[in-house]
Amino acid sequence: MNLREFRGILRQALYFPILLLLLLAGFFLIQIRISSVLLRAIVHSDKITNQVDDLEKLILDQETSLRGYELTHDSAMLAPCTAAKAPIQVDFKELRGLLTGDDAQEQRLAVLSDRYQLWLGLAQRILAKDPSLANDSKVYQRGEKMMDAIRSIVNEMLHEEETRRQRLSEQTPDLEHRQFVQILSASLCIAMAVALFMRQRLRKVSRSYTSALDELEQRSSEVHQSRQWFQTTLESIGDAVISCDIRGRVEFLNAIASGLTGWTMQDALGRPLTEVFQIVREDTREPAENPVDTVLRLKKAVSVPEHTMLISRAGGEFVIDDSAAPVVDAHGEMTGVVLVFRDVTEQRRSQAALIAGEKLAVAGRLAASIAHEIHNPLDSVANLLFLLRDEEDPAKRAEYLQMAEQELGRTMQISRTMLSLYREPKAPVPVDLKDLIEGVLLLLERRIAQQQIQVVSELRDSCIVEGFPAELRQVVTNVLVNGIEAAGAQGRMRIRLEPAPPEEFRGAGAIIEVADDGPGITDAAAQKIFQPFFTTKGEQGTGLGLWVSMGIVQKHGGTIRLQNCGQMEYTGACARIYLPAKTLAGADRPVVVHAN
Amino acid sequence: MPKPLILCIDDEALGLQIRQTVLERAGYRVITAMDGPTGLSIFAAECVDAVVLDYSMPRMNGVDVAVEMRRLRREVPILLLSAYVNLPPEVTGIVDLTILKGDGPDILLAKVREVLPAPPDSIVGEG
Repeated sequence: MNLREFRGILRQALYFPILLLLLLAGFFLIQIRISSVLLRAIVHSDKITNQVDDLEKLILDQETSLRGYELTHDSAMLAPCTAAKAPIQVDFKELRGLLTGDDAQEQRLAVLSDRYQLWLGLAQRILAKDPSLANDSKVYQRGEKMMDAIRSIVNEMLHEEETRRQRLSEQTPDLEHRQFVQILSASLCIAMAVALFMRQRLRKVSRSYTSALDELEQRSSEVHQSRQWFQTTLESIGDAVISCDIRGRVEFLNAIASGLTGWTMQDALGRPLTEVFQIVREDTREPAENPVDTVLRLKKAVSVPEHTMLISRAGGEFVIDDSAAPVVDAHGEMTGVVLVFRDVTEQRRSQAALIAGEKLAVAGRLAASIAHEIHNPLDSVANLLFLLRDEEDPAKRAEYLQMAEQELGRTMQISRTMLSLYREPKAPVPVDLKDLIEGVLLLLERRIAQQQIQVVSELRDSCIVEGFPAELRQVVTNVLVNGIEAAGAQGRMRIRLEPAPPEEFRGAGAIIEVADDGPGITDAAAQKIFQPFFTTKGEQGTGLGLWVSMGIVQKHGGTIRLQNCGQMEYTGACARIYLPAKTLAGADRPVVVHAN
Repeated sequence: MPKPLILCIDDEALGLQIRQTVLERAGYRVITAMDGPTGLSIFAAECVDAVVLDYSMPRMNGVDVAVEMRRLRREVPILLLSAYVNLPPEVTGIVDLTILKGDGPDILLAKVREVLPAPPDSIVGEG
């Protein structure tokens, strides 16, 4: 049943009984009217009877008064006769009014009036002492007769009224009984009708209400189940979830969020998000902008900036990766914000471990060359010392000593280069990129020679950038080793170092370009060449070299690109690294790599 | 009895020159070569008594040279010099002895003596 039907039924339940009660009231009115008509007729009849009685009495008074005058000739005796004249006229007039419509009585009244007038004529003649009556002995009898005729018609009228009243009075008990039965049965009928109608309508409403209740219960159960399902789902997912209303007050947080923030659902409920979800910048420890405020401002999903740290209620610190999105209702209105975040502290640590591991791998890749580079001069020095022991010719001795010094110098240089892969200043320092590249080439010299790779170095002087030498050396080693491995035996490589003019890239700096004539990069490889653990070298590579290199270059504010050269001599890959003259890198800022 | 002839092959010029002097001091005749192919042609032409061969060389490394020499005259002892500490068995199996660069001349001479009789007019006495 819909609301319209329900309202219709309510209207029927109101108006139908009113209608029936109106009918009943109408019936009562008719009955009352019938009774009152009867009553009025009785009263009317009584009034006529009284009036006729009154009139008869007045006429008799006149007659008595006249008779007294005749006997006594005392004019005082005539006073009642004179006094009755006017009331008699009034009575006649009133009776005419009362008897209007009753023809028989009206005729009788007319007869009465005529007879009275006749008597009155006689009376006036008597009073006027008419000479013709002086000797009429029968005047008295004539008067008597006239009066009898009046009495007779009066009695006739009274009798008529009496009979009428009798008839009406006889009707009364009968009418009362009939009315009682009729009113009772009408009331009963209407009560029955109202009861039946209301019962039928209310039953319909009741059925509808019951089904609405059932439906409501089912809906409520469904809503509860759905809510339970969402809650379980949100509790089960591995990410922390906090939702809050449009004012930024916490409405829900799952177990993971509870664990990270240290706030239980009960404690956090209704509190401002800023209290529960305290975030600071990892490097400066300044409060970071609350993502909910950002969402409320921008009305779209946002992710928190990198290096955001969550401070838990107990003071624990977690590096987090976070996003916030608006919650929108069916009408597109924003009703709140949902925050999803995860603890990336471990991830960050393993990333740091991977980066450190890659540093060692670079050294490992160089180890073969280094062993050779160090053992060769050491072997010569040992041999020279052996020769010096027995050599007596001063010229020869001087020559051997000079040779030994030269070989030791070479060993020292190699060991310095090797160590500088690890030693790192605290703040960025000016780095002469030419020296740096030459140092790395020295370490790789053996390998290049062994594979008979023809290396063309076009290194311009005074390309000096700010940076961390060991990290930059790691990057250069990486691209050079990649070049050597790609070029293969008897391949060709070109290393170029040139200053970058300020208008190119993002300001003045330097560009290092390493090109080879190897197989180049396939389209498939180009997609993920900077992703961790991607390698084309099988067991030989860690798959982290370019990933870490990119992190280092990005930290220095530079860019690294790898593409195919497409040149005549160098048909393979070409790595192009841009480093700005002034770096933005700070020593305490870790290398973080973002896979593209 | 003529002095034994040793063929020294190494791409490091200075090291090769010094090694030659050490071996000559010890009473051997020494012929040098700067790379594998040159060494092999000398090996084929001369009556070499022993070979001191560097492992890591461009183009043709010590093992390739040793394999070729074994094919030509398998009785000639070969000593393999290497800067690497752990050479794989397939490398050490081909040659008679291996010497680590940096071990010093005493070890070198001792190992040469293991495969060659001491030269009669050695300047440096035994021991």
